Amino acid sequence: MEILSKRFHLAGALAALAMFTLPALAHHGWSWTQDGFFELTGTIADIYIGNPHATLDVDVEGDIWRVELAPPARTIAAGFTDEVAKKGDEVVAIGNRSRDDTERRMKAVRITVNGKTYDVYSDRVPPS
Amino acid sequence: MEPFQVIEQLTFVRLLKASFVAYPVVNAVHIAAIGALLTSVTLLDLRILGALRTLPERPFMVLMRKVALLAFGAAALSGLLLFSVRASHYAQLPVFLAKMALIALAGTNFVVFAAVESGKQGHGLALRFLALLSIVLWCATLLCGRFIGFL
Repeated sequence: MEILSKRFHLAGALAALAMFTLPALAHHGWSWTQDGFFELTGTIADIYIGNPHATLDVDVEGDIWRVELAPPARTIAAGFTDEVAKKGDEVVAIGNRSRDDTERRMKAVRITVNGKTYDVYSDRVPPS
Repeated sequence: MEPFQVIEQLTFVRLLKASFVAYPVVNAVHIAAIGALLTSVTLLDLRILGALRTLPERPFMVLMRKVALLAFGAAALSGLLLFSVRASHYAQLPVFLAKMALIALAGTNFVVFAAVESGKQGHGLALRFLALLSIVLWCATLLCGRFIGFL
């Protein structure tokens, strides 16, 4: 009986850990994003193009949005490197935002910066 | 330039940062080493705590300690590479600093254990306490390490 109750405690602890962890797991795949396209315009507050994840932090009227890009090698292959964009640049990100409306987070398929467009997920860009 | 930024600018670090194959391979080595380290350390500690009594104590402990040290070396080396691509970012993450502190504590625990073990006095209880502490420290290190990926 005591063993059983200990197992329940363990299960409870694991479940609590899972709940704590799951929102953070968001950035893999697309299941965490909305279906329709979303467009974000702002200035680059931070840029990181490299392993393990390529990301932009975009300042939209004082709010910082996390824009996730394709895996680094794919993002770089699309031409979007840290040479073509820097902090302070105006940027437009098109992609899918988080299903959680309270979260300022999206996954970009297309980035436009300094007059150039980079399709980091060329197979997912909106039809033109 | 800050020392961490110097690390980030090293040629092989820049290659690793942008690589499609190398980074996941280093990552896999890190995971494999962590698995070997936690397994060997836990088995070693459990033996000290009184489990696995059917196994001969000396050869088992010697083998587990050897595996643990090798695994730690591999984990440290691969970890240093993973750290290098975003050194200045990781160096200011509280969870990363907590992980480093836990490793330092686990290392100290190892040294203390060796010292107590080689002493001549009766020390069974102290060794068991240190063994338990070792399991707790390494599990906490694992958790801190995993959370680096989500912050």
